[in-house]
Amino acid sequence: MGNWERLVWNQRDVLLAGFVVTVEVCAIAFAAAIIGGLMLCLMRLYVPPLRLVAIVLIEFFRDTPIFVQLMWVAYVWPEVFGFPNSFFNAGWLALALQSSGYLAETFRAGIEAVPSGQREAAFSAGMSQAQTFTRIVVPQVALATAPSIVNQFTVIVKSSTLISVITVPDLMSQSQKLVNVWYEPIEILTATAAIYIAFVFAISLAGKLLADRLRQRYGLAAS
Amino acid sequence: MSDVLKQSLDLSIFWEYRAILLQGLIFNVLVFVCSASVALSVGLGAALLRVNRFWPMRWIGTLHVEVFRNAPDYIMLVWVHFVLPLLIGLLIRRRVEFHPFVSAVTALGLVYSGYFAEAFRAGIQAIPQGNLDAGRAFGMSERLILWRITLPQVVRRMLPEALNLFISMFKATTIVSLIAVPDLMYNVSMVIQQEMRPLPLYTGAALTYFLIIFALSSGVRVFGERWRRKILA
Repeated sequence: MGNWERLVWNQRDVLLAGFVVTVEVCAIAFAAAIIGGLMLCLMRLYVPPLRLVAIVLIEFFRDTPIFVQLMWVAYVWPEVFGFPNSFFNAGWLALALQSSGYLAETFRAGIEAVPSGQREAAFSAGMSQAQTFTRIVVPQVALATAPSIVNQFTVIVKSSTLISVITVPDLMSQSQKLVNVWYEPIEILTATAAIYIAFVFAISLAGKLLADRLRQRYGLAAS
Repeated sequence: MSDVLKQSLDLSIFWEYRAILLQGLIFNVLVFVCSASVALSVGLGAALLRVNRFWPMRWIGTLHVEVFRNAPDYIMLVWVHFVLPLLIGLLIRRRVEFHPFVSAVTALGLVYSGYFAEAFRAGIQAIPQGNLDAGRAFGMSERLILWRITLPQVVRRMLPEALNLFISMFKATTIVSLIAVPDLMYNVSMVIQQEMRPLPLYTGAALTYFLIIFALSSGVRVFGERWRRKILA
C-alpha cells in the first residue's frame, strides 16, 4: 500500500490538475459540438443550397478516426486556416468536430421523428414556421435526444485521452509525466484508468437516470 | 493562404511513399482482424456469464462489461502495454514484455468485448424460452442448445450492430501507432519526420481513412436496412 500512497495519493495535486484540464476540454468540446451539430443538422434539413456541404462535412467528421482528425486539426489547420493557435484549442476543436457530426445525425433523426401532422396542425392553428419549430419541434426533439446527447459526452471524454499526444496537460498526460519521473507505472496507470472508468461510468449512469426521469414524466420513449 | 492550401492538397508526396503507407494500412487490417476475434470470443464469454444462473457469475460478467465499456481505449492500450506485463512478471517471477502488436490486439479486443457482450446478451435474452425447452425435451445438451438453437438466432439478430462495432474498431486501430505498431499513422509520422511536410501527409492520411471508412459504413448501412427487413419479414 506504501506505493499507492507515495505514487498516487501524494501526487493528487498533479493528477487533479490534469483532471481539471480534461473536464475543461471536454466541456468546451461538448458545448461546441452541440452548437456545431445543430448548425449542420439545420443546414442539411432546411437550407437546400448548403445541403450537400452539410452532408459532406457530417460524413467526413463521422468517418475519420478521432486520432487522425486530431493530428490533422493540430498540424494542418494552423497552416491553412491560421487557427487553432494552441494545442489546447486544437484538442477541443477536434473533439467537437467529430461529435458534431454524430450529433447532427442524432438531431436529424429526432426532427424527422416528429409526425408531420403536428406541423400541419400548428400551421392551421396560425403558428408561423419559426413558432412551430420552437414550440412544437424543439421540445420534443430535446426530450427524445437527451440520452443520446449525454452518451455523446462519454464518447468525448473517452477520446479526450488522445489530446495528451499533442501535449495538452490533461489527466492522461499528467499521469504519463509521473510515470516518466518515477518509472513505476503499475499504481499510477491503474489509478488513472480507474479515474477515467469511474468518470465515464458516472456520466452514463446520470444519462440513464435522466432518460428514466424523462420517460416517467413526459411518457416519451427515450431511446 | 492559397499557396498553403495548394501545398496541403498536393498529395504527390503521399503517393510517392505509397508502398510503405500501404504496408502500414495492412497492419491496421491485421490488428483489426486479430482484435475483432478476441473481442468476439471474450464478448460471447462475458455475455454467457451475464445470463448465468449463479449470481457470482452474473456479477463477474457485469463487472467485465461495465469496466471495458467505460474505459477509454487509449488508457487501456497504455495499461495493457506497460502495466499488464509487470503484473504477470510479478506473478511468475520472470521478466515479461509484450510485443506492441500483442498489446494492441489485447487492449482493443478487451475494450470492444464489453460492447460485443451487450450485443450478444440482448440477442440471447430475446430467444423465446419455448425454444430452449423444446431443445431440452429432445434431449439436447446445454452446449448443443447453445450452438444449434441460441447462437444461430443471436448472430442473425445482432449482425447489423456487430458490423457497426467492427467499423468503430477499425477506426480505433489508428491509435496503436502510439505504442509503435507500424500502422498507417505510424508510418505517416515517420515520413513526416524525414520530409518535414506534415500538411500533405496528414491530409492524405485523413482522406485515406475517410474513404475506406465511408465506403464500409455506407455498405453496412444499406446492408443493415435490408437485413433488418429480411429478419422482421
